[in-house]
Amino acid sequence: MILDIKNIYKSFGSIEVLNDVTISAAKNECIGIIGPNGAGKSTLFKIISGNLQHDSGSITFNNNNLNNISNEKRARLGIGQSFQKNSLFPEMTVIESIMIAMTHKSNLSFNFYSLMFKNKDIYNKAIEIVNQIGLKNYAEQKSETLSYGLQRQLELGIAISCNPKVLLLDEPTAGMSSVETQSIINLIKKLSQNYSIVIVEHDMEVIYNLANRIYVLDRGKIIFNGNVKEIKSSKLVQDRYLGQNNE
Amino acid sequence: MRAVNYNPKLRLQIFLVLIISAIVFSVFGGYFTRFFIAEIAILSIFAMSLDFLAARGGMVSLGHAMFLGIGAYSTAVLSIDFEINLILSTFLSLFIGLITGVILAYFIVFLDGIFFIMITLALGEMFNAWVFTSDLLGGSDGISGIMRPDLSNLGLDINNPLVFSFYTLIWVLFIYLLLARITDSALGRNLDAVRQNINRVSSLGGYTKYYKIIAFSLSSGVAALAGSLYVQLNGFISPELTHWTVSGEGLIMIIVGGIGSLSGAILGASIVHIIQHELSNIINWWMLIIGTLFILIVLFMQDGLWGLVEKIKHKLLRINFK
Repeated sequence: MILDIKNIYKSFGSIEVLNDVTISAAKNECIGIIGPNGAGKSTLFKIISGNLQHDSGSITFNNNNLNNISNEKRARLGIGQSFQKNSLFPEMTVIESIMIAMTHKSNLSFNFYSLMFKNKDIYNKAIEIVNQIGLKNYAEQKSETLSYGLQRQLELGIAISCNPKVLLLDEPTAGMSSVETQSIINLIKKLSQNYSIVIVEHDMEVIYNLANRIYVLDRGKIIFNGNVKEIKSSKLVQDRYLGQNNE
Repeated sequence: MRAVNYNPKLRLQIFLVLIISAIVFSVFGGYFTRFFIAEIAILSIFAMSLDFLAARGGMVSLGHAMFLGIGAYSTAVLSIDFEINLILSTFLSLFIGLITGVILAYFIVFLDGIFFIMITLALGEMFNAWVFTSDLLGGSDGISGIMRPDLSNLGLDINNPLVFSFYTLIWVLFIYLLLARITDSALGRNLDAVRQNINRVSSLGGYTKYYKIIAFSLSSGVAALAGSLYVQLNGFISPELTHWTVSGEGLIMIIVGGIGSLSGAILGASIVHIIQHELSNIINWWMLIIGTLFILIVLFMQDGLWGLVEKIKHKLLRINFK
């Protein structure tokens, strides 16, 4: 397993947010995490990425114990993430945003002499990623001037630019039209050939399209895990989360 | 905080116009003009230090006059008490400012916004209060009798106002080239990214604390250099130089010039200092006019004079195109 999360507990004061959560992801596997609002999905993401410390349990990534490792170091080890709300560099162009993300893995990030745009190696790789995420025609456009859908694509592009081994995607299709959603699904499908992906999503069509295995989180506990077919046929999941909408 | 459009070409064009104008005014101007150019050059270095800090690190400091003071007092003490060569003292003052910046930054860069502003203000005022009462630093009288560097080996008399104005302009050129190079490097673009979205940089593996320490200490070193040149120009240093209002004036200069453009900082320093000087000769309520100008720029021209130059350039290009 590339990512192994075992018996994670987390509480805020007397409120228990995660209770004995165990999740694992194999190489190039796409894991879906679903659950109602307040189930603890975002907290779990923050714990995996290192933005929040868990109370007990262990997170192992690529044979590295991640407990007490900062989010920067986790990112350098290979945990990439995209956020539920776009988290871009608004005044930077698409190509520059991608290049910025790439500098950290290339040990260029503290180089004070080499001009970033003159570095052909980084530039060519950035162009490849821009093409891959479908923003070829917007490469020189500032991030803040892109439409919401294109910004979501850039959000994903930035996440993959630091060459991660595992991608954490927090509601990548949130607020998108059905056409835009389909284009993001296709993009993530392409990406899943190269990365292990953990995806949190409310849109079940996205989860069904992408996830090899789905974990259902409810009030901080994993109540079920299985493949798409098993999820669809689970009465427990239907009752607790999917309800009538999925019939 | 927003910065002006990142445009290295326009930055260089504005810088060239300013430095050539300064050279022309120095060569053809009289004694007073040359002294005035040297003053503007020193203020420009200070403004560039604040500009780099605000635009590349996302930090606004109201205590940066402390580093002016550190540079000025270091040069005074090193050259008078330790009899160290003035050129070496200048570099040592820059280095002392840099190291002090690293040490302070280590403890304060995790603070954001108003908290960062307030802690820099508090540090600056503590320093100001200390130099006012320090016997070693001359207390409220300050230190006088600081000489200028001896350039007789080069056949130059530094006490000649033309030579001294060129000496300060060479420092402006050096600092501009240094900060512009860093701004365009991978480090500089990452510093800009930290200003725009610090959480995203750390989620990509960027050590944001180190970036902020680098920006703060570089800026501190440059401000200390400005302080060192200030005592060489005037021959004395008094605690007033370290008052927080000096940092405030520096911030006004970069806002007038356009935050984040380096050459805009030089433009802002020049315009504000010229207006201050010319108006104060005519009227004694000149501060009111500077204040009004500042309010108008903040309300209607947030890219400052840089934004105005950018707009004029676009319009001219459009006319040429037609």
